[in-house]
Amino acid sequence: MTKTALRSTIAGIALAASAGVALADKASDTLNMAFTKELENVDSYFNSSREGVVMQRAVWDGLIYRDPVTNEYVGNLATSWTWIDDTTLELKLREGVKFHNGEDFNADDVVFTVNFVAKEENGVKTQRNVNWMKSAEKVDDYTVRILLKEKFPAAIEFLSGPVSIYPNEYYAEAGPSGMGLKPVGTGPYKVTSVVPGQHFVLEKNENYFDGPKGQPSIGKIDIRTVPDVNTQIAELFSGTLDMIWQVPADQAEKLASMGDFTVANESTMRVGYLSMDAAGRSSMDPNPFKDVRVRQAVNYAIDRKAMVENLLKGKSVQVDTPCFPSQFGCATDAAVVYEYNPEKAKALLAEAGYPDGFTTEFYAYRDRDYAEAIASYLNAVGIKIDFKMLQYSALRELNMKGEVPLSFMTWGSYSINDASAMVSQFFKHGSLDDARDDQVKADLEVADSSTDPATRKEYYAKAIARITEEAYWAPMFSYNTNYVFKSDVEYTPTADEVLRFTTMKWK
Amino acid sequence: MANTTVDPLLEEIIGPTPGQLLRKRVFGHQGLMIGAVVLVLITLVALFAPQLAPHDPYAQSLVARMKPPVFLGGTWEHPLGTDHLGRDYLSRLIYGARVSLMIGAIAAAISGVIGTAMGVAAGYFGGRVDAVVTFLINVRLAMPVVLVALAVVAILGGSLTVVIMVLGFLLWDRFAVVMRASTRQVREREYVAAARAIGASTPRLLLTEIMPNILNNLIVVVTLEMAHAILLEAALSFLGLGVQPPTPSWGLMVSEGKNMMLFEPWLVLIPGAVLFVMVLAINLMGDGLRDVTAPENRN
Repeated sequence: MTKTALRSTIAGIALAASAGVALADKASDTLNMAFTKELENVDSYFNSSREGVVMQRAVWDGLIYRDPVTNEYVGNLATSWTWIDDTTLELKLREGVKFHNGEDFNADDVVFTVNFVAKEENGVKTQRNVNWMKSAEKVDDYTVRILLKEKFPAAIEFLSGPVSIYPNEYYAEAGPSGMGLKPVGTGPYKVTSVVPGQHFVLEKNENYFDGPKGQPSIGKIDIRTVPDVNTQIAELFSGTLDMIWQVPADQAEKLASMGDFTVANESTMRVGYLSMDAAGRSSMDPNPFKDVRVRQAVNYAIDRKAMVENLLKGKSVQVDTPCFPSQFGCATDAAVVYEYNPEKAKALLAEAGYPDGFTTEFYAYRDRDYAEAIASYLNAVGIKIDFKMLQYSALRELNMKGEVPLSFMTWGSYSINDASAMVSQFFKHGSLDDARDDQVKADLEVADSSTDPATRKEYYAKAIARITEEAYWAPMFSYNTNYVFKSDVEYTPTADEVLRFTTMKWK
Repeated sequence: MANTTVDPLLEEIIGPTPGQLLRKRVFGHQGLMIGAVVLVLITLVALFAPQLAPHDPYAQSLVARMKPPVFLGGTWEHPLGTDHLGRDYLSRLIYGARVSLMIGAIAAAISGVIGTAMGVAAGYFGGRVDAVVTFLINVRLAMPVVLVALAVVAILGGSLTVVIMVLGFLLWDRFAVVMRASTRQVREREYVAAARAIGASTPRLLLTEIMPNILNNLIVVVTLEMAHAILLEAALSFLGLGVQPPTPSWGLMVSEGKNMMLFEPWLVLIPGAVLFVMVLAINLMGDGLRDVTAPENRN
């Protein structure tokens, strides 16, 4: 079958299947797009998904904004900020901003939002995003102070990311569930219709203030949950979708070769890695991973370059550090690099007393094909794999109990451009720490709490050097995302995996 | 028999022997022959997998991913192409036959033993035994197989052994129902009464009088359930809960090819077609065996 014939057949099927869905496009100023996962609650404090971040950035604003290209911090709902002392941040607020429901934005909203989310019993889903704040105080109508629990160098980064400001009067009345059904923010898009988990319609906020996000251009964004990638592609062919994202590399490559669509690829902060039970927490006995030579053998056994080039493709890169290279403090030159060398891996295994290899459970929760490829590489040097694919929540629970000898994990750092969001998350003797190295913990504690950038860099580098020397992890690669859209849409994706509707335009 | 030449006159008088009749029925039955030939072929392929497979089914080559099969412009190096990790598709299909046949045979054997024992006991003894067995059958029928299998596999984790056990312990209902009904029919026959009259023990009655006469029904159910188990394994593996990678399983191959279905449909079509042919062959053979062994077809 020729490509055109194939395409028209598929388009025909898709059209028949989606009869009744209005064809909307440039003419009606509506961009149709698909989410793969169901978004549990539009209220950004009560979901932990990537889709939620996308909605959050469209509907609400934070106090500060990080330019996705230059990584510079600029004022958003705040216009300027100063540190009064190590734990007090004073912000001047922008005047004349209105919420979608007409409520005026002022210091009361900031105080209310911060005090609400910082309280643990209010149940914000990702506590790490908010639990560094103690409370907020109003100085005058357009000046607030945010009080921190302790020194927290990444405060500005967090204020420009997950902390968005809610309208106090409305939120006090509606609460998280009301906010999830009828979201109200200050952002460039307002939500006009919500069918939870299924369908979201956003409309341009005509009265959006002139902030760093810029003015929205496309009138209406219509988002539907379509879980299957093949269905998404079929709908893209038939015209009922204008844009899809998170498209797997193979499909994206095929779509790009068709010429009718723009395929844009951007790196993400997500890093894939193998975690090994170096501390010997699992019930595996004898536990080979307690031996540094075995851990190094695992590092040598896997051809990460081949995986990046043939499986992940796009802007993915081989990663040698337990953090994403662009993150502040992620010292790539401090890391020990393990090249692909199966002979050396076998030799190390033999030296460690496993000339014929051993069998281990191997857990994974996503990207079964990548996990399979890794398993196959390990098999080739003699590490036989008992493959277990679990749901993320189940694997995380097992991991916390310390029952996982070897697992393929990924971490997206919540798009926070600071090494503390990854390396400190896993190596400070928390429940997910498989290494439990005191020296690493001590170095990270200095790095996390210092306000001097040079000191932070130095101590992250120390920790990274130690982690890679000891091969506690086998860092693998960074992920990328493919955005596929109709050629009459203009969009340049950014490296933080946040879709910005504001920067989308019709050609 | 010392004398191999049979007097044609004598043959005309006594007619063909039962063995000859059976052979004639077997070889004259088209469905049975097709099914048997295909199944024997698949079994041979499974047995001689290491000799037949052109490549190691586990050897991955990331630079040679998703090479098309020969009939879509590929090379003879990989006659049926390669999968998403560059493993030879033909070799994986050949090794996958082992997994499918093994699961089908063992699961059908386990459930056959359970179901037949329950069904024959219920049919022969009647009364309370029957009431208990009927109750158990109803309980079992009220549970959706796929759902229970999914739950068990989700708790215990997917592996070949778990899948075989789960299917073996779930698929006995049809055996029990059919065996119970057939036993009830047969136990009232004169020859059973006669055997009982000469003082045959219950085990002897069951083994030599009842079993041989309900065997034809059993064979049909065995083939049906074998096909059922193979399909269920494929379904579980497709959902990621059955046989775990890198073990080659046809259901897993369909699942792994699914993502590229729009662009490389052969990734799904090839294992799907093989699965279809195998299940069809088993069912044809079961049907045929029933036809040739059923007492009413003997004349």
